[in-house]
Amino acid sequence: MYKQVQVIGGKGEGAHRFGRTLRSITVDGSDRLYAVGDSELKVFDADGTLRHRWPTSRPGYAVAVADDGLVCVGEAGQVEIFDSGGTLANTWRDAERLGRITAIGFVSGYVLVGDAKDRAIRRYDASGTFLNDIGKNNRMQGFLIPNGIVDFSVDADGVIHATNPGKHRIERYTPDDQLLGHIGRFNGIDPAGFSGCCNPTNVTVAGRDRIYVTEKAEPRAKVYDFQGSLIAVIATDVFDPNCKNMDIAVDRRGRVYVADTVRLEILAFEGDAES
Amino acid sequence: MSDGLTRRDALNRVARGTVLLGFGGTAAFLIEKADGQVVWQVDASRCVNSRLGEVGVPVCTLCTTECVVQQSAVRAVNNFRECGRCYICPAYYNIKSAVDEKGLPSEKLCPRDAIERQPIGMVDPGDPANNFYEYIIDDEKCDGCGICVKGCKEPLGLGSIILKVRHNLCVDCNHCAISLACPKEALVRQPVADALEPTLATHSTR
Amino acid sequence: MTAAAQPRRSLVVLATLVLLALLAPDKALAQGVQYERPVEVAPQQETIGGGYVTPDVQKPRPREYWLEVLDVVLLAFAMGIAVWLVVSRRSRQWALGLTVACLAYFGFYREGCICPIGSIQNVALSLADPTYKIPIVVTAVFFMPLVVALFFGRAFCGGVCPLGAMQELVVLRPVQVPRKLDDALGLLKYVYLGLAILLAVQPAIARDFVICRFDPFVGFFRREGFAHMMFIGAGFLVLGTVVGRPYCRYLCPYGGLLSWCSRLAKRGVTISPAKELDCGLCANACPYGAIEKNRAVRKECLYCARCYASCPCETSPGAAV
Repeated sequence: MYKQVQVIGGKGEGAHRFGRTLRSITVDGSDRLYAVGDSELKVFDADGTLRHRWPTSRPGYAVAVADDGLVCVGEAGQVEIFDSGGTLANTWRDAERLGRITAIGFVSGYVLVGDAKDRAIRRYDASGTFLNDIGKNNRMQGFLIPNGIVDFSVDADGVIHATNPGKHRIERYTPDDQLLGHIGRFNGIDPAGFSGCCNPTNVTVAGRDRIYVTEKAEPRAKVYDFQGSLIAVIATDVFDPNCKNMDIAVDRRGRVYVADTVRLEILAFEGDAES
Repeated sequence: MSDGLTRRDALNRVARGTVLLGFGGTAAFLIEKADGQVVWQVDASRCVNSRLGEVGVPVCTLCTTECVVQQSAVRAVNNFRECGRCYICPAYYNIKSAVDEKGLPSEKLCPRDAIERQPIGMVDPGDPANNFYEYIIDDEKCDGCGICVKGCKEPLGLGSIILKVRHNLCVDCNHCAISLACPKEALVRQPVADALEPTLATHSTR
Repeated sequence: MTAAAQPRRSLVVLATLVLLALLAPDKALAQGVQYERPVEVAPQQETIGGGYVTPDVQKPRPREYWLEVLDVVLLAFAMGIAVWLVVSRRSRQWALGLTVACLAYFGFYREGCICPIGSIQNVALSLADPTYKIPIVVTAVFFMPLVVALFFGRAFCGGVCPLGAMQELVVLRPVQVPRKLDDALGLLKYVYLGLAILLAVQPAIARDFVICRFDPFVGFFRREGFAHMMFIGAGFLVLGTVVGRPYCRYLCPYGGLLSWCSRLAKRGVTISPAKELDCGLCANACPYGAIEKNRAVRKECLYCARCYASCPCETSPGAAV
């Protein structure tokens, strides 16, 4: 059972609030929360107070923090890399391969970016050289994403868990583009299934055995184990019913953050017994 | 008879001339701001079934019941360019119904069975989930009840199905009977070119 | 009509206020959610592959514009023929034939729409509301019969109007309505005219085109309609067997305008003025009470030419001056 413990952000004018959009959230190794929305990146402390914020040159669609503290922001046509203080360190620009980056992840020295324009995940090395695509080697030539975003998360073993909402499942890939398997199925009634036309929209993995997903229509956040059994429905009624593509992040304490994309706030949940 | 213009005749002439002038002036004023041909059309950004931001409202069937034509001139139209071609379409299927052994919902939404579902493109014979599907609404069966429109509305779907007045069926009443009843004033008069364009709920015609 | 108008109008005002109150915040709330589609989220032809081509959405066209213009031209033509038949040719049979032809075309084929009677509302609204743009065709349809009436009297009523034609064809044993009653009832037209204009110029929520809604014969023309309107239409036809053209004489708002214009007409229906027998046969024949002192009263005369058919001096066309 999860209960809501905090609300961060919100729609409005203040420094800690968001103006028009809230697109992606992530946590770093020190449980700090990073959120991109409008053309800005905000960093919140573990207790929810705004710690730092800096502008991005284009509206950000994805954010991720590497082990060395570099913050990567995915945008349309480019990926901007900032240091932990907010200074721009590098920009990877590629109109073709970095069409619209809606997810970023890291695996053993490589950088993975999810390109929604091409419906694939791309692997780059740390210097920005493109290596290979992931998820394109199938009949549909990519992920089925009517919602317009590619989302994935890398677990501790280096396996990429990516949502394929058109097929109502989460697929597991190696960084070499090998499909290992998938979990999830369609079901409009059973909460363990994914309902509607294209769910789940976003995914994150934490711990050794936990996959956290969000869905749209009706919006909810759920947690599964790696075998695909539903552990719990984290929350469902607290989100605005018009939400779509709500990003989700989990910190080391097991606290779950979900971004409400209509009310532009980040809701924090804590569970009791499960980790 | 008169031997020339009688007084009454002269007065009549003057009166006629004045009235004609009045008519001419009014007509010129009206023609100056005139439109070409205007027809009635549904504004998808106001229609209850497709307007964004309202979730959980019941389906509005006024377009079906109010039209003076027997089978309403308003029909659901799928704007194919915007359709997601999903395997499980929330406008075609009743996604709240029980899942059958093929993994598809067992019930369809359309009460008149007007939507046809066909796989398109490179069809995978082995795995039906590996295909794109086209959803075609039969104009003859559809009566504009709006159930599928609500099923396609964002965020549930992509909003490609909307209600539109079909002008080969509409009798073009002076004051559309549906427009009288519509709670959101979604029936508007538009020039023909605009009325024929497919619009999405995100494009307001205002 | 007057009795019903009062509570109706206040209901309308009340409804306006209630609806405005309800709708105003509504408009602000909804449509505040916008979904982004920065990339083509729907799969494109190339993605689907297999030679698939995205089909075009069907766009059935409305009736071609030139056909609407043709209607206006035919209207003018029909009125011209009516004038010629009644003023020049002076033949009841041909006038009747024209009436039937216009009933068939403007009534049953075009289903009674568009008509000059209803165009009053459009013109009134267009003058009152700067954002309402009236199509040129409607302006033409409004003014043409009035211009003809200025010169030749109510040619539209006799020769062309399909509503009039319906009533014209059911006249069996018309009674002569007493003059005072006829005048009093005739005032109803102006009440209806005022009411129709008032309701037409209201803002969109309260606006109601009552002339169209309460057209008694459009149900017959369309071969379908609300039960109560079909009843009323049938009622008018039944009444019309004994009272000549009741809708035209006592209710038609456009008739009110036409009667004013036709007062100024010099030419029109004239009954053998060269040789008057004072027999009064014409007055008996006229079902509409439009003959006084053996002269056709321009503003009442509905161009049916029955007086010619009954006049013993109208032996051949052109006999009278």
